[in-house]
Amino acid sequence: MEAIVIKNLTKKYGSFTAVDKLDLTIGKGELFGLLGVNGAGKTTTIKMLSCLTKPTDGDAVLLGNSIREKPAEVKKIISISTQETAVAPNLTVRENLEFIAQIYGISDPSAAADKVIADFSLQEKENARTKTLSGGWQRKVSIAMALITNPQILFLDEPTLGLDVLARRELWGVIEKLKTKMTIILTTHYLEEAEALCDRIAIMTQGKLRAMGTAEELKQLAGKDNFEDAFVEIAERAGKGEL
Amino acid sequence: MRITAFAKRNIKELLRDPLSYVFCLGFPVMMLLLMTVINKSIPPQANMTVFRIDNLCAGITVFGLTFLMLFAAMLTSKDRTSSFLTRLYASPMTAVDFIAGYYLPLLILAVVQAVITFGVSLVIAAIEGVSLSIGGILLAIVTLIPSMVMFIGFGLFFGCKFSDKAAPGLCSAIISAAAILGGIWMDIDAMGGTLAKICKVLPFYHSVNAARLAVDGNIGEAGTSMLIVLAYTVAVAVLSVVAFRHNMNKDN
Ligand SMILES: Nc1ncnc2c1ncn2[C@@H]1O[C@H](COP(=O)(O)OP(=O)(O)OP(=O)(O)O)[C@@H](O)[C@H]1O
Ligand SMILES: [Mg+2]
Repeated sequence: MEAIVIKNLTKKYGSFTAVDKLDLTIGKGELFGLLGVNGAGKTTTIKMLSCLTKPTDGDAVLLGNSIREKPAEVKKIISISTQETAVAPNLTVRENLEFIAQIYGISDPSAAADKVIADFSLQEKENARTKTLSGGWQRKVSIAMALITNPQILFLDEPTLGLDVLARRELWGVIEKLKTKMTIILTTHYLEEAEALCDRIAIMTQGKLRAMGTAEELKQLAGKDNFEDAFVEIAERAGKGEL
Repeated sequence: MRITAFAKRNIKELLRDPLSYVFCLGFPVMMLLLMTVINKSIPPQANMTVFRIDNLCAGITVFGLTFLMLFAAMLTSKDRTSSFLTRLYASPMTAVDFIAGYYLPLLILAVVQAVITFGVSLVIAAIEGVSLSIGGILLAIVTLIPSMVMFIGFGLFFGCKFSDKAAPGLCSAIISAAAILGGIWMDIDAMGGTLAKICKVLPFYHSVNAARLAVDGNIGEAGTSMLIVLAYTVAVAVLSVVAFRHNMNKDN
């Protein structure tokens, strides 16, 4: 069954097209990777899908709800970890988590917080004001805030940005466990991360979808046996107008 | 549920900033004490009573509210620039949740602030042997509720429209306008001229005037001032709501 059906999704800023006629279907329980060079339109796509930005053209339907017609319904079933860390600085880690659980109407916010605190090993900092945490720790809290709502569709925009290797591996573990339970769209600039985690991967440049498939398929398409080389090859071919 | 959760968060955010206490409580109380000392050094023959505690308390309370406006602006603009609001815009929070969640806690803090400022004034009045009625003060706090909403509205509006660098600057303009043109430090009625006219077109003088009349037990004369403040309150509140909704609906 399909979780996300994107049709002709387009975003223009003035005369500049940030996302250009995107067509994409993502299955329920799929972990979908969105890759692309800086400015390719990944964040803009995620923002349209999470009703933060209105599409100029086209539409996307998330579990039966159109982002154009039923944004309020969409917002109930999604959760987003934005590219920038987004926390309430003067709340403690636990308060931040419980606050998000409350606004999503989770029945037992404190129990839900216990769970993500354990998943992300946040115990030692749970009662610290979030602004006193290091950048990487704030990042972990910000991602944990997206997960506490137990969404049906989860958007992770460069979740591992600024995390150390251990924290990144830990997050991979958390994501692995969520796989199949919810539909996830993940963007990242770490290609090994996309290769390790994602069921399917799409590569965007200049707002357009250039290639899509499993990591294996993309390597074959590019004729490379290493995923990073394949990505570079595809991005370069797209730049030359060959894709 | 969402409103309560967001209101609680906002109150925590404000109360955990030590500067809130310095500006919103420390400053008005310090002014009360300072002006009382100055008042003592004014010879009785000068017949100048603006600085006497019964005249002073209403103005200083309004002065305190202007700082609450500053904190309202900083809270909203920081939430916006830090992408915290972006995350919430993608949540089930509705415009009503946001607006009530910002206004309510600030309104509670404004009432608490007024109670404390008037409370300190009562103590000073008792020490100075000036008569100050508790009934009048309670009535003054009620007459100040529209002003509280107005100042919070100014804060939210600036916070919605300007960055966390620019918003405080704009707030200081309002703080100065309120302090100078609000008749907190001078007797506008005795002044006359163009400046007095300007003062009476702006809401600040009327906020102070209505509360002062209430303190003096002359609430019956405060009708015009109350109406003018109310009109500004409605306008500013509408502006702040429009600005907020606009932010919600634009590209985030
Ligand atoms: N609000 C905006 N106004 C104008 N242009 C914008 C706006 N937001 C994004 N853009 C432009 O749209 C393009 C796509 O941006 P987007 O943030 O989606 O890229 P991205 O793929 O997420 O890049 P990165 O990997 O750097 O995060 C960029 O050229 C950007 O400058
Ligand atoms: Mg991005």
